[in-house]
Amino acid sequence: MTLTRTRETAAHRAVVSPYWTHRRRDNLVGYLFIGPQLIGSALFVLLPLGLVLWYSLHEWNVLAGTFEFTGGDNYAKLLNDSNLGEVLGGTAMFSIGLVVFNLSLALLLAVLLNQRLRGTTFFRTLFFSPVVVSLVAWTIVWRFLLQADGGINGLLGTIGVEGPNWLRGDATAMVSVIVVQVLKNVGLNMVLFLAALQGVPRQLHEAAQLDGAGAWRRFTRITVPLISPTILLTSIITVVGSLQVFAQIAVLTQGGPGVSTTVLVYYLYQQAFQFHHFGYGATLSILLFAIVAALTLLQWRMRRKWVLYES
Amino acid sequence: MSHKLKITLYGLLCVLCVPFVFPTWWMVTSSFKPVGEIFAFPPSPLPSSWDASAYRQVFELQPFATQYFNSLYIALLVTAGTMVVSAMAGYAFARIRFPGQNVFFIVVLVGLLIPSEVTIVPLFQMFHGLGLTDTHWPLIVVPILGAPSVMATFIMRQFFVSLPGELEEAARVDGLGRFGTFVRVAIPLARPALGAVAIFTFLHSWNLYLEPIVFLSSPEKFTLPQALTQFVDTYGGPMWNIQLAAASLTALPILVVFVLAQRQFIEGLAHTGLKG
Amino acid sequence: MKPIGKLAALAMAALLTATACGGGQTPAQQGPKPLRMTIWTSNEAHLKLFNEIAAEYKKTHPDVGAITFDSIPFENYTTTLTTQIAGGNAPDLAWVLENSAPDFVSSGALAPLKQTLAKTFGYEFTDLAPAATKLWERDGELFAYPFSTSPFGIFVNDDLVKEAGQKTPRELIKAGQWNWDNAVAIGAAVAKKGKAGLVVRDFDYKNWDNLASVWGGWGARAWSEDGKTCGFNSPEMVQAMTFLHKSIFVDKALPGPGTIVDFFAGDAAMTITQISRASLLEGATFGWDLVPLPSGPKGEYAVIGQAGLGVLKNSANATQAMDFLAFFTNPANSAKLAAYFPPPRTSQLTTETLAKSNPKLKPEQLEEVVINGIAKATVKPSHIGQAELSQTIRAALDPLWKADADVNAVLDGVCAKIQPMIGTS
Repeated sequence: MTLTRTRETAAHRAVVSPYWTHRRRDNLVGYLFIGPQLIGSALFVLLPLGLVLWYSLHEWNVLAGTFEFTGGDNYAKLLNDSNLGEVLGGTAMFSIGLVVFNLSLALLLAVLLNQRLRGTTFFRTLFFSPVVVSLVAWTIVWRFLLQADGGINGLLGTIGVEGPNWLRGDATAMVSVIVVQVLKNVGLNMVLFLAALQGVPRQLHEAAQLDGAGAWRRFTRITVPLISPTILLTSIITVVGSLQVFAQIAVLTQGGPGVSTTVLVYYLYQQAFQFHHFGYGATLSILLFAIVAALTLLQWRMRRKWVLYES
Repeated sequence: MSHKLKITLYGLLCVLCVPFVFPTWWMVTSSFKPVGEIFAFPPSPLPSSWDASAYRQVFELQPFATQYFNSLYIALLVTAGTMVVSAMAGYAFARIRFPGQNVFFIVVLVGLLIPSEVTIVPLFQMFHGLGLTDTHWPLIVVPILGAPSVMATFIMRQFFVSLPGELEEAARVDGLGRFGTFVRVAIPLARPALGAVAIFTFLHSWNLYLEPIVFLSSPEKFTLPQALTQFVDTYGGPMWNIQLAAASLTALPILVVFVLAQRQFIEGLAHTGLKG
Repeated sequence: MKPIGKLAALAMAALLTATACGGGQTPAQQGPKPLRMTIWTSNEAHLKLFNEIAAEYKKTHPDVGAITFDSIPFENYTTTLTTQIAGGNAPDLAWVLENSAPDFVSSGALAPLKQTLAKTFGYEFTDLAPAATKLWERDGELFAYPFSTSPFGIFVNDDLVKEAGQKTPRELIKAGQWNWDNAVAIGAAVAKKGKAGLVVRDFDYKNWDNLASVWGGWGARAWSEDGKTCGFNSPEMVQAMTFLHKSIFVDKALPGPGTIVDFFAGDAAMTITQISRASLLEGATFGWDLVPLPSGPKGEYAVIGQAGLGVLKNSANATQAMDFLAFFTNPANSAKLAAYFPPPRTSQLTTETLAKSNPKLKPEQLEEVVINGIAKATVKPSHIGQAELSQTIRAALDPLWKADADVNAVLDGVCAKIQPMIGTS
């Protein structure tokens, strides 16, 4: 990423006072403007990150009030933690399922809404509406709906299908959590895709149609490449977002059944705040940060391979 | 477009919107049902008799009005604060040249990579050290200055980068200083991006869940998402209809505002500069 | 606070004051000391009684300011309480649930009470039943007062039982046939009629420690007396769980996972719960009864849930808090609290005393369930590191709650998970 710099011609650099040159004043204004954000980053991002690293080298017992340096013990525990494999596997499944389902549904909805049809604004409003519903309210409602004798199975029952006990089966619980989360937020990606689709020139499609390209071919060969920057950005945001899903798990499954829906963030919360292993919780935080940073870098690196152009 | 295709498309849209609309519909109608009817089989689309007593109990069991106010004022304050902080930082990163700019930008961007769960333990420690746990300070100060506002700064920077600079140049020729140019020229031009930032930020703060449950312990300081999970009887059994009534009260006003202003809302979001 | 944390705090303080928004702590108060007690009930009648006792105490103690009772929802009670302690916002007094008793008692978070209680005039410290205080003691010192010792019993909806053509538990008791087989038979018969049979309240296929009220009949335990050996794969436990599993999935006598049934709304024939829930029968429209737990293969048994009241050692007002605790639980107030919370005082565990404060319950019900119950009861399982242990067992037991579960394998799995956690403690 390079920064676009304003051109400053000599004419503009007129000296007002001997010391307060334009340049000096610009520097001052620049620092003042980024000041709050920079101080905030230092205090609430970098410092806590350093502290997390520090805590991860300690064992802290809240009830007894002890805080002891234990070196790499927590990291050794990380390697020996028999739950961690399952937790990471579940996290990966959750993130992959979420990203794939979210992006494909968002794209499908955006394509449907991009047709020249009456009433698309109405449908757009409906698809977007869960975004503005409070997350916890949305999740609580779904918890009711997904009970064994809840609304979804009631609905299925009216068409003669006996639904599973959604939140109690390993696979169905994971699917439920993913679907509930996607339905909540897919509207955001849909809107971003819709804006990108509207930037695809119709003439390109028309020309391809004349050449005999079918709808699917036009979609994969013209539309997808042209909106690839949007796909990249939404996928980064969605991946990072998927690793932060907490409330939904807490309300829907509390990590169960077994540990099947215990994603890393939830595990971290359990260790630190329920089991009071703050030190180990910090170690898990470092792991989570490393994963998010690595994934983001990876996606950014990969952009040259599959993003057609960048604006 | 052929008639047949049109009907297929409409059919598809109608089917697809069921899971988006049904939960909200079910939430609102069930909140008016007596407890026994909520899980009746087959489910009834409307209550057999409308019973609003759950709505009264929402306010009797918890200081719900206070909690509503808490959520609202925190979200508004955070939104306003974030708009100011991110507009300034975004503008400076995009328009002003000063030494160390690139380094500082990368430092700030680290915030994008940090899930709030990672830093919640030390932030809790820091606020504990200040005696500010069980106050709203951490829920206001951290989002405005910390990681959550970095996305906003990023959006603002992308917007200012793509904005032609001529108007600002002209303003400077007319003798307006940097600050004047920013306030009188750049900010008015940045209205769509600011709108998107406002929406994002408001929703983020409004939905905050982990932070309140970690930082707050007194019911009169709770925010809505946290309060919703507290409608349980003395021994932890959920009070279904009351939870649903509270959830409806939380969701509906925002939903109404959204429907009224949906065009500005959605189109505002579409122009966040996230297109690429 | 650790040095780096302090530095961070200082930096933040500087920032906050610079932006003119330093709220925060008030220095140590002069004058009357306020007291705060965390509790998990938000029941109005309970709170009214507490406030009355507090008001009476303040009349004679001008050195104590406002006494507040802070209700924290039951579900997150221990998590919230410990987070408050970690955040330096600890209460002066706190209710402690039996399952976190070992954690609190062993960690040194609570102040020793024996001396204060014993020297309080008219307290009659020796009146406290040893069975009730056992969980709250360490090295001969008492760390919390067991203000509630609440036995598990079965509430019965006699109307539903009769409708299903079954003998009521009361009739079975008279005939000497009140055992688990018959209890499940009643449940199954009622379930066939469309309502639910027997509900283990609050279990919800998550809070497994409530199942102690079932497996006790088989003489099973979650772990050995010394807490070092897992008991989940013992023959007794396997039998008990096999029986329970069959009752749920074959006989359908207990509603399955993920269904929502409320006995007190008239949706189930029977529910196992603590007798303190009798208050939920206020305005019940069905004929009900309270009976002891049915006998199992190992004969009659009883299980109690407990709650202790302790003083946080780090409280700035620990002395006042201890004095208030001594008043709150003295013989006179203990008798008043007995209306909701069965007391640990042997002199008060009599039918007459309990009947006075529990007008809802008949003398025979009190005799059978409360007095006999407390005498022979085991306490719900608890262990050091309970939160993590409890969560691990919950996860390991989840596969059991399916129709085709392999009970033996699941229970072995539980022990495989928890033995390493408890073996070394």
